[in-house]
Amino acid sequence: MNLSGTSGSGWRLPRHELALLGAIVLVFVGTGWLDTNHTYFVNWSESRDIILRNTSLLGIIALGAAVVIIAGGIDLSAGSMVAFSATTCALLLAVFSEVDDKRLVTVPPLGIAVAIGGAMLSGLLVGTLHTWLITSIRLPPFVATLATLVGLRSFARAMCLFVTKERWGSESQQINVNTPFFAWLKEHNVWISTGTFLVLAFVTWLILSRTVLGRHLYALGGNEQAARLSGIRTENVKWFAYCFGSLTAALAGIFLMADSSVAQPGNLARGYELNAIAAAVVGGCSLQGGIGTVTGTVFGALFLRLVIDAVSKLIKASADVYEGMIVGIIVALAVTLTQFGQLAKAGRTLFPGSRGLAAIPTIATFAGLLAMMGAANVEAFRGRTGLLGVVVGGGVLLLLSAIRWTEGRSVS
Amino acid sequence: MTPIIAFRGVGKRFAGVTALSDVTFDLMTGECHAICGENGAGKSTLMKILSGVITKYDGEISVRGRPVAFRGTRDAEVAGIAIIHQELNLVEQLPAAANIFLGREKRTPFGLLDDAAMEREAATLLTDLECPVDPRTPAGVLRVGDQQLLEIAKALSLKSDVLIMDEPTSALTETEVARLDRVIAQLRQRGVTILYISHKMDEVFRLADRITVLRDGRYVKTVDRVATTPREITGWMVGREIANHDFHGARSRGEKVLGVRDLTLPWPEHPRGYRLKNVSLDLHAGEIVGIAGLMGAGRTELLETIFGATEPTWTGTILLDGRPVRFIHPKEACDAGIAMVTEDRKRLGLFPDLDVAANVSLCGLRAALRGGLLSRGREEALVASPIRETAVKSAGPHAAITGLSGGNQQKCIIGRWLLVKPRILLLDDPTRGIDVGAKAELYQLIDRLCREGLAVVVTSSELSELLTLADRILVLAEGRLTAEFSRAEATEQSIMEAATGGQAPR
Ligand SMILES: Nc1ncnc2c1ncn2[C@@H]1O[C@H](COP(=O)(O)OP(=O)(O)OP(=O)(O)O)[C@@H](O)[C@H]1O
Ligand SMILES: [Mg+2]
Repeated sequence: MNLSGTSGSGWRLPRHELALLGAIVLVFVGTGWLDTNHTYFVNWSESRDIILRNTSLLGIIALGAAVVIIAGGIDLSAGSMVAFSATTCALLLAVFSEVDDKRLVTVPPLGIAVAIGGAMLSGLLVGTLHTWLITSIRLPPFVATLATLVGLRSFARAMCLFVTKERWGSESQQINVNTPFFAWLKEHNVWISTGTFLVLAFVTWLILSRTVLGRHLYALGGNEQAARLSGIRTENVKWFAYCFGSLTAALAGIFLMADSSVAQPGNLARGYELNAIAAAVVGGCSLQGGIGTVTGTVFGALFLRLVIDAVSKLIKASADVYEGMIVGIIVALAVTLTQFGQLAKAGRTLFPGSRGLAAIPTIATFAGLLAMMGAANVEAFRGRTGLLGVVVGGGVLLLLSAIRWTEGRSVS
Repeated sequence: MTPIIAFRGVGKRFAGVTALSDVTFDLMTGECHAICGENGAGKSTLMKILSGVITKYDGEISVRGRPVAFRGTRDAEVAGIAIIHQELNLVEQLPAAANIFLGREKRTPFGLLDDAAMEREAATLLTDLECPVDPRTPAGVLRVGDQQLLEIAKALSLKSDVLIMDEPTSALTETEVARLDRVIAQLRQRGVTILYISHKMDEVFRLADRITVLRDGRYVKTVDRVATTPREITGWMVGREIANHDFHGARSRGEKVLGVRDLTLPWPEHPRGYRLKNVSLDLHAGEIVGIAGLMGAGRTELLETIFGATEPTWTGTILLDGRPVRFIHPKEACDAGIAMVTEDRKRLGLFPDLDVAANVSLCGLRAALRGGLLSRGREEALVASPIRETAVKSAGPHAAITGLSGGNQQKCIIGRWLLVKPRILLLDDPTRGIDVGAKAELYQLIDRLCREGLAVVVTSSELSELLTLADRILVLAEGRLTAEFSRAEATEQSIMEAATGGQAPR
C-alpha cells in the first residue's frame, strides 16, 4: 500500500506521482510552445479557467471512482448519475417556482436548498441501490452499475417528461435554469468548483489514509474474504464506497447544470464515467482493488484534462473526435509505464513470440493512419497526407522491429 | 554417484534484503535431499531459482555438469526439473486431466483437443500415485492431498529427473502423508532425484539421504542423515539450542466460557447432507482443546461456525458464558472476545497490498487513533509487541507483506489476533509452514496466554502438535464427534483410529 505522504517523516511523493507531475509540466509547457496561437501564454487567464473548470469536474467524479476502485469495485454509472442528479435538481426547482415561470428565473431560497439537497440525496439513493444489488443480490459490480448506467439516464428523462407535463402541461426533454443563484454559481464556477474539488480531495485523502474506514477500504479491495474474517463489516464499507461514488457524481451534476444553465438528461455527461475511471487508473489505482491514492487521482485527472486540452489546441478543428483516442492511448501508456519496471525485472519483453510479431505491424498501421489523419489539419502537408502516413507507419514498423531484435539478443 | 545439479555461489537479493548468498553444494543423482532452515532462510528462493521462476541471480547452476541459465519454467522443465510450489498452482475450474496437461495438451490428428487420450493417460498416472480420482473432476473440488498428487502427476508426465517439493505435507493429513511417502519411494525407484523441503523433522529423517542446512540465506552444511540427529540439525538451523519445554505443568482450568450443544451444520448440495452433525464441546478459561480429524472432517467448519463466519443455517446451541449466542458476522464474535486465525492464509488471511504493520494492526486499529485519526506512530508502537512476541522476521513494519517468507506471514496473522487480546482464541492449523524454532516459541506463547486465562481451541494436521499443546483432544470424523481423549489417554494410534471412523489408518 502506498499511503502517499504519510510514510516516514514529512510529505513525500512516491515515484508514480512524481512521474505524473513531471508529465503534467511537460504537457503544459509543450502545448504552450507548440500551439501556433500560444494560447497558454497569450490568453492565460481564459485557458486557466477552462482547465481548472474541466479538471475539477472530472476530478470530483474521479475521486469517487477511485474510492470505489480501491474498495475492489467499479462504478460504471457515474455519467448517468451526473445527469440524474442534474435533472433531479432542476425538477425540484421547477416544482418550487411559479407555475408560469418556465425558464425558472425566480425560485425561493428554500426551493434552491431543497433542490440541491435533493440532488445529493439522489446520489445517496443510487449508492444504496448499488450496494444492495451487489451485496444482497450478489450481482457483480460491473453488472449492477452497468444496469444503472443504462437505467438511470432513461429514468431521468422519464422524470423530466413527467414533471414538465404535470407542472406546465407540455412535455419537455430539458429544463432551463436561470435563477440568480445558479447564474451566480455559473459566473464563479471556476473558483467554486475548484475549491470544492480541493476540499473534497483533502477530505478523501483524510478518509483513505488517516481513518479506520479508509484502512478497511484498502483491506476490502485487497482481500475481501480475509477482510470479513478479520471482523470488518464489508457490506457497510461497500455501502460507503458506492455512496461516495454516487455522491461525487451528484455533486458534479449540480455544477454541470449550473454551468450550462440547463438540465438535459438525454445527453448530459455521457461517457463521463469512463474518463473518471481513466483518471483514477492513470493516477495509479489498480482495477484489482486495494491500491490507489488521492494524490495520484488528482494528478491523473489534471494530466488527462491537460492532454485533451492540448489536443484541442494543436488540432483545433473537431478536436473532440480525437478525445477518446487520446484517453485510450494515455491509459494504456500510463499503466504500461508503471508496470515497466516489474516487466523488465521478471525478464519479460514487449514483443515476445509470434503475437509480438503480429503486434508490430498492427501498431504501425494504426500509427500510420493516425499520422495521415492528423496531417490533414496541417497546412504544410496538404496533398501529401498519404505519403506522411506511409512514412510514419514505416518508421514505427522499423523502430518496433529494432526493439524486438534487441530484446531477442539480450535474452539469449 | 555423480552430481546431477551443482549450485556454485548462488545468491539473490530482493530490494534491500539478501535472501540468499553464496550457496554452494551438489545434488547427487537419484538421492532424496532435504533442505532445512528457519522461515525466511531462503529455501523457497533457492528452489525458485532452480526451477526457472526467478531468472536473475548471482552465481551459477550446472545440470549434469553443464552450466545453465533458465529463462523461465519451460526451460527448467525441458532440462528435467519440475517443482511443486509451497502454494499450489492449479486452475480450479479445469478438470484434473486438463490440469496435468495444461500447456502441453494432446491433440487429435485434426488438431482438436484429444480429451480421451489425456484422460486415459491421466488416469494411469493417478492410479500409479494411489490417487483414486476421476480425471474429469474439476481440480478445485479435490482435497488438498489429491491436488498435490495432481501436481506430482504433472511433474511425472513431464518425465522429470529432478522433482522439487516445497513443503508438500504442510496441508496433508497423516494418511495422506503416508501415501506421499509411498509415492516418493516409488519415484526414487524410477531414479528421480528429489529435493524435499519441510519443517517437520520426522519426515526429513524418514525420507532424506542427505540434509542441507541453510541459515539466513547462507549455506551451513550438508550432512548424511545417518550421521546426524534432528536436534543437531535444528541447532544448525537456528544457530542455538532450542529448549524443550513441557507445557503441561500445572495449568489450572478456570470457568467454562464456551459451550457448544448438538451443533449441526447442513450441507444441502452434498450426499452426506451435513458438514457437522450433533457436535458438542466445552471450553474453559485457561484450557487448550485440540481438535483432530482428517482433512474434510469438519474442523474448519466447526471453528467458523463458532466465529460466525459460515452461513447462519446451523442448528443447536452455542453458549458464551452460559448465554446463548448466534453470531451472523465475524465482527460480532470479535466484539464478544473471540478471535480466529484462519487456515488458508493466502486466501483468507493476508492483505497483499497492505504492509506488515497494517496487516497486523487491522483488527485493533482503534487503539492507533489519535483524535479520531490514525496515527502512524501509534500504529507502529501498537504492532511492535505482537511482532516481537511472534518473532516476525522482516525488514521493518513497513515492509511489503508479500516479501515475507511463508512462515513469517503466518506469524503476522497470529500477531494480528493477539493484538485484540481475545478471551477465546480459535486457531485453525496455526503452525502450518512455521519452522521448528518459531513453533516452539509459539507453543510457549500460547501456553503463557493460556495460563493468563485465555481459552484456546486448536486444530492441527499434525497429531504431535495436538499432543504437545492440548489438555483435551476431540476427534472429528466426517462431521461427527467420534472420540474425546484427555491428554493422558491420547496416543497417535488411538486418535487416528477415531479419526478414520474406527478403522486403523491405511
Ligand atoms: N519477492 C520478494 N521480495 C522481497 N523479499 C523476498 C521476496 N521473496 C522472498 N523474499 C525474502 O527472502 C527471504 C527468503 O525467503 P524464502 O521464501 O526463500 O524463505 P523460506 O526459507 O522458504 O521460508 P519459509 O519456511 O517460511 O517458507 C525472506 O527474508 C524473504 O523476506
Ligand atoms: Mg518457503
